[in-house]
Amino acid sequence: METRKLVYVLTGVAVSLIVVIGGLVLLVSGGGGGDDGSSSDSSPTLPARQQGELRVRGADPITLDPACASDADSASYIVELFSGLVSFDKDLKLIPDIADHWDVSDDGTVYTFHLRTTVLFADNSRRVTADDFKYSMERSLNPDTQSTVGDVYLDDLAGADDFIAGRADSVSGIKVLDPDTLELTIKAPDPVFLDKLTYPTSFVVDKNQVKDANCSDASWTFRANGTGPFKLANWDLGNQIVLEPNPNYYLDPKPALSRVTFLISGGSSFTMYQNDEVDVTGVGKDNVDTVRDTTNPLNAEYHTTPSLSVSYIGFNVNKAPFDDPNVRKALAMAIDKDFLANNLYKQLLDPAGGIVPPDMPGYDSTVDPIKYDPTAAKTLLDSTGKANDLNGVKILTAGQGAAPDDVLEAVTAMWQQNLGVSIEVEQEDFGLFLSDVDQGSFEMFSLGWVADYPDAQNFLDLNFHTGNSNNKTGYSNSEVDQLLDQARTDIPEAQRNDLYHQAEQTVVDDEPWIPLFFARSSYLVKPYVTGYDVPAFVIPTLRYVTVNK
Amino acid sequence: MPSGLASYVIRRLLIVPVILLIVSFVAFALGRYAPGDYVSIQAGPRANPETVARIRHDRGLDDPVYEQYARYVWNALHGDFGVSQHPRGVPVQDVLFPRLWVTVQINVLVLAFTWLIGIPLGTWAALKRGTWLDPFSIGLFLFFASVPVLVTVPLLEWALVHKLGWLPTGGWSTRHILGVKIGILSKHAILPVFVLTLSGVAGLARYMRSQVLEVLDQDFVRTARSKGLRGDVVVFRHVVRNALLPIITIFGFELAGLIGGSIFVETLLGIPGVGLLAFESVGTRDYDMIMAIVLLGTTIFVLTMLLVDIAYGFIDPRVRSGGSAG
Amino acid sequence: MSYAEATVGLHAGEPLRARSRLLRRLLRRPVAVAAIAVIVLIYGAGILAPVIAPYGFNEADFTNTYAAPSLSHPFGTDELGRDLLSRAIWSAQTTVIVSIAVVATGALAIGVTAGLVAGYLRGAADAVIMRLAEIFGSVPTILLLLIITATLRDRVEGWAESVGDFTHQSWIVSSGAPSYVLIFGSLSAFGWVGIARIVRSQVLALRETQYVIAARASGASGPRIIFWHLLPNVGNLLIVAITLSLGSAAAAEVGLTFLGIGVQSPHPSFGAMIAAGAPLTIVRQHTVLILVPAACVSALVLAFNLLGDQLTDVLSPRRR
Repeated sequence: METRKLVYVLTGVAVSLIVVIGGLVLLVSGGGGGDDGSSSDSSPTLPARQQGELRVRGADPITLDPACASDADSASYIVELFSGLVSFDKDLKLIPDIADHWDVSDDGTVYTFHLRTTVLFADNSRRVTADDFKYSMERSLNPDTQSTVGDVYLDDLAGADDFIAGRADSVSGIKVLDPDTLELTIKAPDPVFLDKLTYPTSFVVDKNQVKDANCSDASWTFRANGTGPFKLANWDLGNQIVLEPNPNYYLDPKPALSRVTFLISGGSSFTMYQNDEVDVTGVGKDNVDTVRDTTNPLNAEYHTTPSLSVSYIGFNVNKAPFDDPNVRKALAMAIDKDFLANNLYKQLLDPAGGIVPPDMPGYDSTVDPIKYDPTAAKTLLDSTGKANDLNGVKILTAGQGAAPDDVLEAVTAMWQQNLGVSIEVEQEDFGLFLSDVDQGSFEMFSLGWVADYPDAQNFLDLNFHTGNSNNKTGYSNSEVDQLLDQARTDIPEAQRNDLYHQAEQTVVDDEPWIPLFFARSSYLVKPYVTGYDVPAFVIPTLRYVTVNK
Repeated sequence: MPSGLASYVIRRLLIVPVILLIVSFVAFALGRYAPGDYVSIQAGPRANPETVARIRHDRGLDDPVYEQYARYVWNALHGDFGVSQHPRGVPVQDVLFPRLWVTVQINVLVLAFTWLIGIPLGTWAALKRGTWLDPFSIGLFLFFASVPVLVTVPLLEWALVHKLGWLPTGGWSTRHILGVKIGILSKHAILPVFVLTLSGVAGLARYMRSQVLEVLDQDFVRTARSKGLRGDVVVFRHVVRNALLPIITIFGFELAGLIGGSIFVETLLGIPGVGLLAFESVGTRDYDMIMAIVLLGTTIFVLTMLLVDIAYGFIDPRVRSGGSAG
Repeated sequence: MSYAEATVGLHAGEPLRARSRLLRRLLRRPVAVAAIAVIVLIYGAGILAPVIAPYGFNEADFTNTYAAPSLSHPFGTDELGRDLLSRAIWSAQTTVIVSIAVVATGALAIGVTAGLVAGYLRGAADAVIMRLAEIFGSVPTILLLLIITATLRDRVEGWAESVGDFTHQSWIVSSGAPSYVLIFGSLSAFGWVGIARIVRSQVLALRETQYVIAARASGASGPRIIFWHLLPNVGNLLIVAITLSLGSAAAAEVGLTFLGIGVQSPHPSFGAMIAAGAPLTIVRQHTVLILVPAACVSALVLAFNLLGDQLTDVLSPRRR
């Protein structure tokens, strides 16, 4: 009996504790919720907004280590915190960054960079020298760092292969001539080598801070000491990232913002924008009608810029029946891209006729696309006699979820309606998808390609040249290869673009891809924010932004 | 503590590491056995397949599963549970615990409200037997106890967020109180707590109601009443006595299922708790994080069940001999 | 384990009423009738789906997106012009398949057998089975389900493909069988524990009754006793438990599919419909997309629980 009483007492105590705590909680939450009484969303409670501060809904980065970032979200923060030899300005022109000027040898393989002499690390500890660059670039290539992107952007360097394979202690192509002069030698002349240097893998990091941390040790990144326009004030995991201007920044215009706060958690960005909690927001197809309405005040704040990317459906050209160009063509002709772009996506995307997006140097508006013609498509398909082989074919896409992309569902429905073939969408999770695509175990797949740098080579050469590791379709056309090889040499730009036009037209005719859409960024910006543009791909832009509030 | 109970507890405690090992090995093996791993996911489409293969090898992902597992256990025993993959390179605990704290905040409140409201509500419903309120309350309780959270959340969102505009659209906000990050004291917490409490109260009230009815029907109550004793005092004492055991069981199950139960609510509302973390980690093949969550969840479950059984042991001596309650 | 199942378990060991005329007694209760009607309606729709669904699950009609309810589309259409009524009917089919498979395998085949064996034989068999139950029951179920279905599906589909290629039976893969098998397999793997424990305690109680002792004395063999004497008496509790299990299996499938790790597109499921209709912007503008599956799932689960309640009332000697 005594033990029972004890249990009752204990239970009573527990319940009373819960009551007391619960009551306290109710009391405090009723008293001060930390919100400003706005209608639908209360602001994630942060220090009060300060003069000249930009607040944006931000993505959660995977890493802030320049040598390790393989995704655009991480890169978008890294380019503001770190910098390298060269970069792109707002107009996508290549400009000198830490390198003040450079010389290129006659044969196009030796680049000599003369560095600015006054660039300091953000913590004022010391000046950036050519040694720091050698350290940082070798770190990206070093197999011990375990970076998946180092070699993608830096393997042009002479001696990189030996270094990666462990046959050499350093990269012979990276030479420090003196503290202010860095000499890079590449294996063969490459018109886009400088473009590749704008990617984070070539950015300089502080060796005293990083020491020998590899990609699996991110502790130093929380106190990142870089040379970019901003420095990291705080990274509150899963909550927010706060940047402040780097007083040692050397390029003009210098950052005009007093602070940038990226809110990582939170509800809908659009609603937060309407409640004045963020200064910029993207516009999706669910909101675009509201925003396009000219009677809506939001309409004045609406901007769209093209983003250099294309989404497409790729074929495995080595697998029947996709080795027959007429089959591919028929499938392409049966898709009403205008309908998809206009109805499904409310004109947030542009239907793609060619491969290279508008606004990309090398874009060819005269490219002759494959047009939507369902009757001709059916005739063409029937004439190949392979219509039956298409039934049960799978189009592979990355994703995990009960409902795959609307676009793919619509496309397969169109094929069903227009051609009478039933093709299924198969979702795989991303890792498996990538390895299946790599190994050619697919019939069709759906993916997108985003520009790394503003040059048609990035779209055409990497994806369609025979043997290129990014050429997943297995497409091989010697004519195209010849054109592309020629374009790789050092020839005037007009000539290069001409070669790319020809290559692109051939690729469009051969249709190893069905290009679907060119994407655009659609967003709203508050009127008191000036200079904000969403760049076509990841480049540092925050230093051009001013907030007058 | 009576010696029978002590040895029982010790027996149960000894099994805990065994269970943890078995469960963790299964989770580990499954994770490794699944095609795709975080290296290829993070490498993205641009990467050179050879580089990816090399890194995979360097990270030890090509070694046989049992070797990898042995390494994992060895490290774990030294307190190193690995690093997360999103964000990459952060020790697993540093990502897990803040997220766990969010889920705990929500669920503590839910449990408190469930008890505080459910018990009296169920009792009251029982006392209303014979009136129209009886079938009505049965129906109401059953409804809210049955309808899955998956369904109630979007509908409540529509009502409370869209139509009435009282609540934010999801997400989570925190403030610092006495140096601790508290998220529960904001409007963002209201919807998840409300939804979970609703089904919890409904279930508990149903149970209390049937318990109270059972007591009310027993002879001694009628006898006591006929003697002039106050009915409700008698009811209360006996209800508490009889209902205590099962209520403790139910409480235990709720606590134990903390992580699993939060997955849907957190996914639907974008709340950065441990349920959402579990879901995300599986998608990104964040092996170390998955393992940590599984270990944590299993430990909570097993220890809670043990506590429940200890309580049983105090209250009901029949259990101690390893009898039928199995 | 829901409250309901916990309740059932806790009543194990109590004497039970005869099951004769159970159906008749049940049908006298309006609530039970209503619950049975709902179940019959939804399960019936699922079973007859190929016959009665006016459109396919994925039949798109781009000229008619987000249509309001009309004669040809009683529930309207979604963003691709797919008929919501048909989608619901096809989803019901999946629910029927998965829930019955789970209960048949997990609850019945595994759970009952385990409980019977453990309860009757005791000793080593009992110890082993109970330890297994403890291990399977100690796991945070949803978590492990998440891991299992997310990680194994691709492998299972790979096997199915090779089996399909080998035997030239393409239906193996195209019917979506791998997903279904994986789901009901993993749900069964965890679902048997509750039933096994219930059955076992019932058997333990029955074991010592005169009835069984007499049977043993007259020379009846073990399995005979199990099947002829114990099983029918366990039956009552079992009926209730099965009813509840069907409900929770249906809910589990919907949940898993919603998370993306259950039935895969293009195969139908209420979970897929809920996933499509759940985002707040969709709920704002096209509420019907979530109302249809929400109503169906709620009605079904509610009906199962109600029926379970009613069965308990009818079968147990306590007044309510």
